[in-house]
Amino acid sequence: MSTKKIKIVHYLNQFFGGIGGESEADTGLQTREGPIGPGIGLQQALGAKGEIAATLICGDNYFSNLIGEVLPEIISKIKNYDPDVVVAGPAFNAGRYGFACGEVCKAAAEELGLPAITAMYHENPAVETYRKVRGVYILPTEAMARDMPRVLPKLAAFLERVVSGMPLGPAKEGGYFPTGQRRLETTSTSGAERAFNMLLAKLNARPFETEIPTERFEQVPPAQPVKDIRSARLAVITTSGLVPKGNPDHFRMFNATEWRKYRLPDQPALAGSDWEVIHGGFNTVYAQANPNVILPLDALRRLAGQTFGELDENFYTITGVGTSLKTAKEAGEEIAASMRAARVDAALLVAT
Amino acid sequence: MDLEDQGRIKAKVEEIGSSEIVVVLGSPSIEAAEMYAETLTFGDPTYAGPLAGIALRLPVYYISESDIKQQIPPEIYRDQVEMMEMVLPSEEIAARVKAIRERAAST
Repeated sequence: MSTKKIKIVHYLNQFFGGIGGESEADTGLQTREGPIGPGIGLQQALGAKGEIAATLICGDNYFSNLIGEVLPEIISKIKNYDPDVVVAGPAFNAGRYGFACGEVCKAAAEELGLPAITAMYHENPAVETYRKVRGVYILPTEAMARDMPRVLPKLAAFLERVVSGMPLGPAKEGGYFPTGQRRLETTSTSGAERAFNMLLAKLNARPFETEIPTERFEQVPPAQPVKDIRSARLAVITTSGLVPKGNPDHFRMFNATEWRKYRLPDQPALAGSDWEVIHGGFNTVYAQANPNVILPLDALRRLAGQTFGELDENFYTITGVGTSLKTAKEAGEEIAASMRAARVDAALLVAT
Repeated sequence: MDLEDQGRIKAKVEEIGSSEIVVVLGSPSIEAAEMYAETLTFGDPTYAGPLAGIALRLPVYYISESDIKQQIPPEIYRDQVEMMEMVLPSEEIAARVKAIRERAAST
């Protein structure tokens, strides 16, 4: 077996690149020679087997706002280093970072034909979006970055297997999210026997494992079109964590567990002095100064009676940072029920 | 743990040496206190900050631990700390912080 050192290019966001938190999310692409941040731990785990040749760092907002420009730049930089593998993250439960890691891995795999590995929490939306991209592997992590010391050695061992071409085994055994690839395997027992054994196990309430897991795609039927928007009663939902001054219901900055309904003021716009933005995932300075950028009461008041009928006197709010799918679903159902009770015809979910 | 705080503590240790420093935490949550203690003992577990890969091994205590509490004048402790000690899971936080000290002593 070859003893050539594995050459790696590592992608990080501004936080893990040591530049700074949310206030630095607009940082443009930077290249550093050698490992940075989590790359130092990854390098330690790899020892002499591999070398992080370069680290590419980009702010999360910069990446998502300028993906069309920055992604080709990233790919061209990766190409210059001629690595054996690309590593991005780990991103844990960070939404934008997970997306950036997924995009970088996808582009490296599809455009450069390189294996690309990232790691994140199973509820990070990027897992579903990128896990089936050929050449991309996503390893599971916990939600929080504290899990880093446990993940990095796994990442190191996994990338070694990928680069050396060793079989990875099924996703569950190999420690990565299923990629949707099926491989032919032979066993000593026939299909009939295996099926029969599974049936026996099922009848005896013993655990068994199917060989053909069916993927559960959730069908979300689109809502019926609004019959007549000009007479419709509209209610607004925001995931920005907008709450009255003083945060009376103790909203959390992350991992929201509750939503609330608050009365809109009888004014043409929201005043920053009356409201607070409890959101741990974006720079809230501008929204705090002018909450109409996250809940456009100013525009809605102008449009009411013309573009749509009337505005409900309440708005709905939750903090959309690391909110679990379960909480989001429950909140959505409860908000919908509350809107129905208030004879609301249409909900407007404003972008945060 | 905040990147700037990590940088400040690192600079302080470089300036006066770790043998002259004891860290006293007042963090309100178990997770935060544990994270601070771990970062200042074994290095930043997230590898994001200036203490990535740097084990300062500073002694870290929670403010309600008796070693610290008995050194604070009782009236000041009553005014500034006691209320929060009662409403927070102080014992659990102190136990977690202590566990990190013990782990540092045994490795």
